[in-house]
Amino acid sequence: MIGEDSALALLERALSLSTAEQTDIYLSSQDLGLTRFAGNAIHQNVSHSNVTLNIRAVEGQRLGRATTNDTSDDGIRRAMEAARRNALLMPEDPAFPGLPEPQDAPRVASWDESAAACSPLTRAQMVGEVCRQGAAEGLDTAGACRTGVQEIAVVSSRGVRAYHAGTFAGLIITTRSDTSAGWAKGGSWQLDEIDYPALASEAVDKAVRGRNPQPITPGEYTVVLDHYAVDDILEALSLYGMGAQAVQEGRSWMCGIQGTRAMSESVSVWDDGGSPDGWPMPFDVEGMPRRRVELVENGVVNTPVHNTYTAAQDGVESTGHQAYFVGPPIASNLFMRAGDKTVEQLIGSTERGLYITRFFYTRLSHNRGCVMTGMTRDGTFLIENGEIQHPVKDLRFTQSYVDALNGVEGVGDEAKLVLNEVGFATRVPALKLGSFNFTGVTV
Amino acid sequence: MDSLIARALDTAAARGASYADARMVETAQERYSVRTGVVDVISSDESLGIGVRVVVDGAWGFASTNTMTAESVDQAAALAVEIAKASATSGGPKVELGPPVTSRGMYTTPVEIDPFNVSPQEKVALLLDVDERMGRVEGISARTGNLIFIRERKAFANSEGADVEQTIYEAGGGIQATAVGNGEVQRRSYPNSMGRQQGCSGWEFVRDFDLAGNAERVASEAVALLTADRCPSDITTTLIIGGSQVGLQIHESCGHAIELDRVLGSEAAYAGTSFLTTEKLRNFNYGSEQVNITADSVRLPGLGSFGFDDEGVPAQSTPIVEGGRFVGYLMSRETAATLGLESNGTMRASSWNRLPLIRMTNVSLEPGEWALDDLIADTDEGIFIDTNRSWSIDDRRYNFQFGTEVGYEIKNGKLGRLLRNCTYTGITPEFWNSCDAVCNANHWTMWGTPNCGKGQPGQLGHTGHGASPARFRNVRVGVMR
Repeated sequence: MIGEDSALALLERALSLSTAEQTDIYLSSQDLGLTRFAGNAIHQNVSHSNVTLNIRAVEGQRLGRATTNDTSDDGIRRAMEAARRNALLMPEDPAFPGLPEPQDAPRVASWDESAAACSPLTRAQMVGEVCRQGAAEGLDTAGACRTGVQEIAVVSSRGVRAYHAGTFAGLIITTRSDTSAGWAKGGSWQLDEIDYPALASEAVDKAVRGRNPQPITPGEYTVVLDHYAVDDILEALSLYGMGAQAVQEGRSWMCGIQGTRAMSESVSVWDDGGSPDGWPMPFDVEGMPRRRVELVENGVVNTPVHNTYTAAQDGVESTGHQAYFVGPPIASNLFMRAGDKTVEQLIGSTERGLYITRFFYTRLSHNRGCVMTGMTRDGTFLIENGEIQHPVKDLRFTQSYVDALNGVEGVGDEAKLVLNEVGFATRVPALKLGSFNFTGVTV
Repeated sequence: MDSLIARALDTAAARGASYADARMVETAQERYSVRTGVVDVISSDESLGIGVRVVVDGAWGFASTNTMTAESVDQAAALAVEIAKASATSGGPKVELGPPVTSRGMYTTPVEIDPFNVSPQEKVALLLDVDERMGRVEGISARTGNLIFIRERKAFANSEGADVEQTIYEAGGGIQATAVGNGEVQRRSYPNSMGRQQGCSGWEFVRDFDLAGNAERVASEAVALLTADRCPSDITTTLIIGGSQVGLQIHESCGHAIELDRVLGSEAAYAGTSFLTTEKLRNFNYGSEQVNITADSVRLPGLGSFGFDDEGVPAQSTPIVEGGRFVGYLMSRETAATLGLESNGTMRASSWNRLPLIRMTNVSLEPGEWALDDLIADTDEGIFIDTNRSWSIDDRRYNFQFGTEVGYEIKNGKLGRLLRNCTYTGITPEFWNSCDAVCNANHWTMWGTPNCGKGQPGQLGHTGHGASPARFRNVRVGVMR
C-alpha cells in the first residue's frame, strides 16, 4: 500500500515532469491476495502489487495518453513525453471541453483493517471451512477467496487533488455433485461481512437439493430470481445502455423510452459511488465526484451517466462515471430498491414457475429492449403450487431484460451486495417476474 | 540469465521451495482509436515486472512485484514461499510436474516491418481516412476504427535448468459501422467483429487488411441491414458459416472444452468445466469425419504462436480431433501428469503479475476440399451467415447460441436476399457431427481472438483459430425475441 501522502506526493512529482499545457494523472494501485480452490483443496494462491500511472496530456483541444508502472523519474518522464507526443499527433477536437475543474468529492468509509491485513493463512482457514462443509455432503467444492486494498488518486494541473483507499473481501463458492451444482457469493469492503460458514451452507444446500435434475420443456415461465441473477440483469442494462455515449450514438436500450414508464412501478435503480452500502468509489478517474444518478424511478426510464466529454455534448455536468482510463462512462455502483417479500413468499405466491439461482455467459442479442441470451446455472428448480417440486436441467433464455422488468410481480425484502472482480458492484433484491422466455435446454 | 531472475530462484530455494520459476515481462503497447471523426485514443502503455512461482510441501505459491530491485524480488520470492505453505494446509494432492523442463533458447516473432518503427502519423492518417470513407455513406450513426501493436519481452527460468528469452509481436486493427433506424440497431465490422483482427505479426498484417478499400462497403452493409428481412424464426435448416464465425465456434465449443484444467475442475467456480471428460479421450466422436482440429503454437500469424510457453515447454503441434474422433487436450505439466502424459506447451499468463494458465494456442479447423462457390451451389436451401454479433455457451460447453452480423438466404444453390438478426443454437457434439463440408485452404484464415477471459484474478488471453467456411445440416436458426 502506498498511502495518501505518498500517493499524492508521487503524483505531484509526476506532474512537475510534464511539459504539456494541461495534464492529469490517475494513479491506480492494488494489493491483492487471492486463494483459489477446487476438489476441496487449494490449487492456486497468489499475491500481487502494482502501481500504474495513467497520464492524459492536453495540447489545445487534443488529448494524448500514456500509462506506465515505472515510477522512477526517468520512467515518468518517458510516459509524460509519450502522452504529449500522442496529443500532438491528433487533429483538434472542437468538442473536447478540456480537463475538468476541481470539485470536492466526499470522503466515504470503506477501509477495514482486517481485510487489508488478511493473510494467506486466514484465507486458507476460510477456504478450509467451505471445503469441510462440501465434503461432508459428498460434494466437490471450488471457488476463490480474495482480499486486498485498492487505492486511487487523481492530480491535475487544473487543481484536482483526490485520493481514496478502500479494502475488499470476496468469496465465491461452487459446490458440485455428479448431477447438480450450487453457488454462493459474498463481497464487501469489510472482511467480517463475509459470513463464510453461511455462504458455504447456502451453496451446499443448493447442490444437495439440486441432485438428479429433470428435463423441462422450454417456453414462457414465471421466474423467481435470486439476487445473483438480478445482478446480471443490472450489469447488462449498465453495459448496454446506462452510459451517455451509447445513448448519444443511438445504441442504448434507453433510446426512445426515456421519460416513459417502461418497467414496473416497483422498479427503481440508481447509481451511487458514494454509498458505504455498496463498494464505495467516491470519484472517477477524472477526479470528478460520483454523483447519485436516478436511472429508473418507479419504472420510468431516466437519464444516463456521464463523463466530462459526454456531459459537454449534452450541455450538462459530468456525473463522475469515467470508470476506466479508456472507454465510455459506466454506471458501476448500482442499487435496486428492495421490496417487502421474502424469497419464500415469492416462491409461495407462484402457481407454476422456475426458481433460478443465477445466470451465466449472458450476451447481448439485440440492443432494443436489451435482448439477452444466456444460461441458468448452479441451481434451477420447478415451482408448482407455491412449492419447489424438483430441480430441472439448465435452460437457455433469450429475453428482453427491459420487458422482463416490466412484469415484476414481487420484490425481495433484502437487497444484497454483489461485488465482481473489477470493482463493479450491485446491491439488489430477489425478484419475481411474470414471464421469462426460455429457448433451449442443455444436456 | 537475468540477475533478478537468478536471485528469485535462489531465494525461493533457500526458503524451501522444491521447484521455482521466475518470469520477467516487459510489455510495450500502442493503441489508436478513431470514433466518428474524432481521434478518440492515442495511448502508449508500458509495464514491467517479475512473477515468482514456487512449490513448497507439494503446494503452489505465486507472488509478483513491479519494483525491479534485489530487495523487492527477494520479498516476492519469500512471499510466494509463505503462500505455498498456507496452500499446503488445505491438503489435497501434492503437485507433480512430470519430467523436468530444461529448455534453453531464444525466440522472436518474425516480422517484415516492426510496427513500432512505423510512424504514428501514418497510423492516425490511416484511421482518419477509413473513418472519412465510412462517413460518406448516409445513415451511419457511429463509426469506429482502431489499431493496436504489442511487443512483449519475456525472460523465463526455472530451478530445473530452463532459461529462455522471447520477444512476441502482435498487430491488430479493425473498423465498425453502426446504423440506427427503422427500430433497429445494426452494425458491420471488418475484418472481424469484437473490434479487430489480430495476429502475431508486424505492420504488414494490418496493411494487408486494406481497411480503406473495405470502409464504404462495411458502412453500406450496416445501413442495408436496417431494412433487410428478418432471419426466419425458429426453423431447422442448412447453414454455411463464414470463416470468422467458424473460428469463434471452434474457440467456444472446442478450444475451451479441451482445456484439461477445466476438465479436472479447477475452473469450476468461474469459467466452468467441460463435457470432454477424460474417459472420452480417443473414445468419443466429437464431430463428423470432415472435422479435423489441431492445436499448435507454430502457425503464424496465429495469436497463440510463440517459442516456449510460460513453463518453458517448447512450441509444438497437437492433434485434437482426427476424422471426428477426440484425441487430445491442451495440457500443462501438472495436468498432463495426472493422465500420465507430458505437457504440450499451452501455459500462458497475460502479465508478469498473473499465474500461467492453460490457454488455447492456435486451435484450428483444418481445411477441407470445397471451393466456397461450389459449396453454395451444392446447397438447395439454407442460410449463409458470417461475422459474430453475440456468443454464449453453457458452463460445460454443450449448449451454445450465436448471433451474426449478416446472413444471406441460399435458394437453389445461389445466394439470395440479405437477412438481419440471424442466430443459431445447438449442442456441441450434435452440431459438429452435422458438419458435412469444409472449404479448402484458399478460404482458410488464421483468425485472432484477443479477448479470451479466464482465471481469477481475471486474465485476457490471446488465441488463434484457423478456419474456412463450413456447412452444417439441420441447425436450429432464428432464436430471437
